[in-house]
Amino acid sequence: MTPGLLGNVALVLGFVFTALGLVLSAVAWWAKDARYVEAAKRAAVFSFLAALLAFAALEWALLTDDFSIAYTAKNHSTKSPTWVKFATLWAALEGSILLWATFQALYTLFAARRLRDYWMAPAVLGTLFGVQLFFFAVMLFVANPFTPVPNPPTEGPGPNPLLQNHWMMAVHPVLMYLGFVGISVPFAYAVAAMLARRYQSWVAETRWWTLVAFGFLTAAIFAGGWWSYEVLGWGGYWAWDPVENASFIPWLLLVAFLHTALVQERRGMFKTWNFAYVTLAFAATVFGTFLTRSGVIQSVHAFVEGAVGPVFLGFLLAVLFVGFSLLSRVASEVRDVGGLNLVSREGLLLGASLVFATMAFVVVLGTLFPLIVEAATGDKVSVGSPFFDSVFAPLGTVLLLLMGAGPLFPWGRLDAYAARALSVMLSALALSMALSLFLGATFGVALGVGLFAYNLVAVFAQAGRGVAAWRKKARGVLAAVFAYLTRARRQVGAQLVHFGVALAALAIVFSQAYRVDAQKTLEVGERAVVAGVPLTLHRLDARDEGFRYAVIAEVEVPGVGRMYPRLHYYPTMNSPLAAPSVHYGLYNDDYLILQAFDTEQGRWATLRLVRTPMVLWLWIAGGIILFGVFYIVFPGFALRRRESAEVAA
Amino acid sequence: MKRVWALLLLFTLALAQTPTGEPPPDLSPEVFRIASELRCPVCQGESAAESNAGVSQEMRRQIAEMLKEGKSEEAIKQYFVERYGEWILYAPPKRGINWLLWLAPAIGLLVFGFGLWRYLAEARRREAELALSEEEIRALERRLEEE
Ligand code: HEM
Repeated sequence: MTPGLLGNVALVLGFVFTALGLVLSAVAWWAKDARYVEAAKRAAVFSFLAALLAFAALEWALLTDDFSIAYTAKNHSTKSPTWVKFATLWAALEGSILLWATFQALYTLFAARRLRDYWMAPAVLGTLFGVQLFFFAVMLFVANPFTPVPNPPTEGPGPNPLLQNHWMMAVHPVLMYLGFVGISVPFAYAVAAMLARRYQSWVAETRWWTLVAFGFLTAAIFAGGWWSYEVLGWGGYWAWDPVENASFIPWLLLVAFLHTALVQERRGMFKTWNFAYVTLAFAATVFGTFLTRSGVIQSVHAFVEGAVGPVFLGFLLAVLFVGFSLLSRVASEVRDVGGLNLVSREGLLLGASLVFATMAFVVVLGTLFPLIVEAATGDKVSVGSPFFDSVFAPLGTVLLLLMGAGPLFPWGRLDAYAARALSVMLSALALSMALSLFLGATFGVALGVGLFAYNLVAVFAQAGRGVAAWRKKARGVLAAVFAYLTRARRQVGAQLVHFGVALAALAIVFSQAYRVDAQKTLEVGERAVVAGVPLTLHRLDARDEGFRYAVIAEVEVPGVGRMYPRLHYYPTMNSPLAAPSVHYGLYNDDYLILQAFDTEQGRWATLRLVRTPMVLWLWIAGGIILFGVFYIVFPGFALRRRESAEVAA
Repeated sequence: MKRVWALLLLFTLALAQTPTGEPPPDLSPEVFRIASELRCPVCQGESAAESNAGVSQEMRRQIAEMLKEGKSEEAIKQYFVERYGEWILYAPPKRGINWLLWLAPAIGLLVFGFGLWRYLAEARRREAELALSEEEIRALERRLEEE
């Protein structure tokens, strides 16, 4: 038995079980017979086991340095540390599709176990199996990691050095795929609901899944930002690069969906809109993969491998076709009824969803604009941070204003409590803006501070309202606070998320506005002021680390201590890769990059110092957002268990 | 130790990154700010402030020099546009087809907003159609009580 053989067998098994599951689901649907659903659930178990086996086979090849299959021959090196070998599975195209397929099978399995509604179950499973079949087919017919190599080499080039430079690179793609694949579950529920004509209840049933996907996607985006910050060597965390945009688009659509779903849950409205949002969010994950895997668009993060591009494009068109043909049917059948008072929670939610949709549209257009212009006029243009930053500032402002008010308003109207709280929030906004301007801040920074103060007051006002509602049932204020925190987990979680978003916005504003970035050449032993900071270069060292050469500068930064920025030379790269040294601080981060050095005698080094305020708070905000999502999602398990216990009793 | 330096020397010579022996120039924050709005011409989607490719380093050096000569930010950008075309700018100039991009937020808000307004108007009209009049409600209540 070789890894190649095992892998191929596993892929074929996975394909067969998935196809079987699809057929069983279809039979269950047409025959309206629940026994076939049970059989399809079993197929989900086996297809997951097959995917797991393929995964294990590829890890086996990687960890035992087996170069007899295409994937290891192209992407593996015996010299990599073990964790890099393990993560090499998702460092290139074929392997990452295997990881994707494995996660898809995992989600199908979990979704199958949680299915309650036998009317919708066949269609939910059928859709998930359909998606899963696509990934197995891609591996079998287009991008097989287990293709045998006729003359196996004894050593390979190893994965892209950018990926080896930081352990985050082992984590970030995993989170991203967990998020992307997670969206397939709400999508499958939506398709099933449309097929079964159960237009109302699916949004509540999929909320848990949507939040899980949203949590993973958020974690992936923050992890990616953090990785860029630590690795790419320019001290930034987001560059509006096409690959980053490709993960941001589904995120925006998912948030838009989460919020209109609240309106549907409560008021039974926006059924078609919600279906459209889910379909688009799912399509956006495929679109993102198409963008980054087809070589259509240039990016530092992209894998340029053409063959799968057209396949993903075909899949994207298929998803959109299915989505929109169902949508047209829904649109002709569903007749939502009801007048909405726009000065109310639902009105603000709709405003928010309008802004989210617009943001998604801007990111899609901005990312594709160079292609559009080139096709239309033959000219070349670039669209990057200066454009996106200037457009997102006003949209973000509107969003932050809505975000403070939305959860404070009752459904259907504006009441005295919300009106009073809103006037306090607006005063906080005005006062802190005025104070910031007085202290010499720019307008943008002052607005950022004001919006943060506004949302901070909003959090307390919302909590006050929540606690007041529990006062009637609980004895004493403390008991009411406790009851609110533990029983109203959904509201508390949403508040945490919103607070995290406001904090992230503040951190972004400060880090953009007050970042300083300067470069200077120092002799060894010299002390010089760079970007206002006196640096001392103590030593310059070169080291042979086996799989790379490293040049290391030892720099004294006052108030921080010694920092060690490095340059790495990889045999496969034709230019050195900087490994910056970062010191995190509550006020400022100091970020040192070794730009160049005296290659002859090691007498001088050129250092670049980036001092950025509040970056640490961005990562803290990410943590708060994730904790908020977790806070809502977690009791999902407990609730389900209680539910099933009741059913059993 | 000596061996490693020699190897690195070979490496850098082979790459001809920067001419050896001569350190890169000192750069002020202003240089990086301007460079961040310009594209690195040989990279895959990185700005001239992010990238460490030879061209980007050269661009930063030129920016520093032009700043020293007292040139304005506009003039510096213009210089690069003349050399590389407008493609070098990360914010496309506001003219011609580029307006489509700059107006995208407004277009998005208008189109989605219009859709939302149509939807709400429709839902409200239906509600009015389906609503029962006072008499109908009273009639129904009476029937309920009778049953
Ligand atoms: C990037 C920005 C935002 C993020 C990431 C976000 C995220 C979330 C999440 C995860 C929830 C929980 C959803 C659930 O339990 O189903 C939530 C709830 C909510 N959000 Fe947002 N939100 C954002 C902006 C906004 C804005 C602009 C509004 C303005 C109206 C808003 C209004 C609400 C409301 C009213 C709730 C329900 C709260 C409750 O149940 O008490 N959110 N949000």
